[in-house]
Amino acid sequence: MTDVSNTAPAASGEAVGNPQLACVLALLFPGLGHFYLGKRLRAVAFLLIVAASLVTGVWLQGNLFRPESGQPLTFLATLGSMGMGIPYFVLRFVRDYTGTPTAPGYEYGTAFLLTAGLMNLLLMLDAWDIATGKKD
Amino acid sequence: MPNHFLLMNLYATIVGAFFALLWRRQMRDRIKMFLQVYIGLVGGGLIAAWLMYPFPSGPPSPIP
Repeated sequence: MTDVSNTAPAASGEAVGNPQLACVLALLFPGLGHFYLGKRLRAVAFLLIVAASLVTGVWLQGNLFRPESGQPLTFLATLGSMGMGIPYFVLRFVRDYTGTPTAPGYEYGTAFLLTAGLMNLLLMLDAWDIATGKKD
Repeated sequence: MPNHFLLMNLYATIVGAFFALLWRRQMRDRIKMFLQVYIGLVGGGLIAAWLMYPFPSGPPSPIP
């Protein structure tokens, strides 16, 4: 049996903040939930990682998913992309960003943009676990 | 645009760093986790590319 005591994040068992607020903040902006919970260094690291994925995706002119009728998978992909929070809405509605299907890096950029959203969704769940004391 | 291999490495670096920070707390464990994810993604990509090598890369040639 593998001993995971050194690898798994230790759980203090004590709530360190409001879980709902931590989740909302985490969903609004990458790293904000961790910042609220006092994990400031980790928050900055997560912000840099998600931002790197986002910037690379935009640089490669990847697709920022939006729902398309007759293509149900675009709804799921849109939900995943919206996971990046405010940056998604700024790109979509303020910058009117859509991506360029003819760009050489289009497929790569799409993967980077979708990954940025999915990573932030995982950060939201992590913020919940930290706030409820399941992780440190 | 950078080449495919560079982008593959960049992607593996970002995802590896993310999961190392998310799932591990000790620096030694984080490095180990990062390397596992990084090597898994880049190595897996190279193996998939090698397996697809015999298949034609372009559209089928026209029938004479």
